[in-house]
Amino acid sequence: MSNTTPPRPLSPHLQIWRWHVTMLSSILHRVTGSASVAGIVLIAAWLICLALGRETYTVFLQYAASPLGLLVWFGLSLAGFVHLTGGLRHLIWDLGLSFKPKDADTLATWTMLLGVALTIAFWAVLFTSGKVAL
Amino acid sequence: MSTKEALAKNDASTRSAQSWKKSEKHGAGEWLAERFTSLALIPLTLWAAWGAWQIAGGGFDAALAFVRNPFNMAAIAVSIVLAVWHMYMGVKVIIDDYLQGPMRGVCIFLTFLLSVAVLFGSLGALYLVYQGA
Repeated sequence: MSNTTPPRPLSPHLQIWRWHVTMLSSILHRVTGSASVAGIVLIAAWLICLALGRETYTVFLQYAASPLGLLVWFGLSLAGFVHLTGGLRHLIWDLGLSFKPKDADTLATWTMLLGVALTIAFWAVLFTSGKVAL
Repeated sequence: MSTKEALAKNDASTRSAQSWKKSEKHGAGEWLAERFTSLALIPLTLWAAWGAWQIAGGGFDAALAFVRNPFNMAAIAVSIVLAVWHMYMGVKVIIDDYLQGPMRGVCIFLTFLLSVAVLFGSLGALYLVYQGA
């Protein structure tokens, strides 16, 4: 196959870039998106265990509600929220806004911080309402 | 054509919805699908976070009652379909960026298999709950 068509050009790998905030946010968008793949697999597992009945679901909860399970959910919620606000940044850019380097940096910084803030708020509510405990 | 007309023709706001869809192959459709799924997933993800808070600590009964609610069940189904679609497109973009040759095809196929498995697994589970499992 590669005899007939020249290979597609590849994206430059991480070590080529100089670190700056929009590059960090771009990489984080891919990292958090990839991590969210694990999130949707676990949500599918949650639904399957629920459909299989009380006994299976109790086994699922033994893992999901354990400290290690909560750490995994925390990481997945962080990935989800940061990916969500990162997506918001991309949608803003799609509107043709915030393209000046300074504005783009500000937007990238604030959307990353907003993702972290949403995660902290989510878990603060979970713990303070007593629904989740270690 | 005057300069004014030429400018107006290039202005995105004056283009018809039809002309937005034109591209050499299927790039424009994928671009629109990425935006459509991400826009829809913003409220759906926030709703899912609210749902997680609703059932947290409530065990089997709280989770079953939540999923059995018709509105919640529909929202979960729509969220999963859109999220899997979004996931497939996103992972494919990463594969296209970093892999070439047979590995690219193999990885895209594996991503497709994972997407189908997640879709059938979760929608099948929803159907079982709907049937009164």
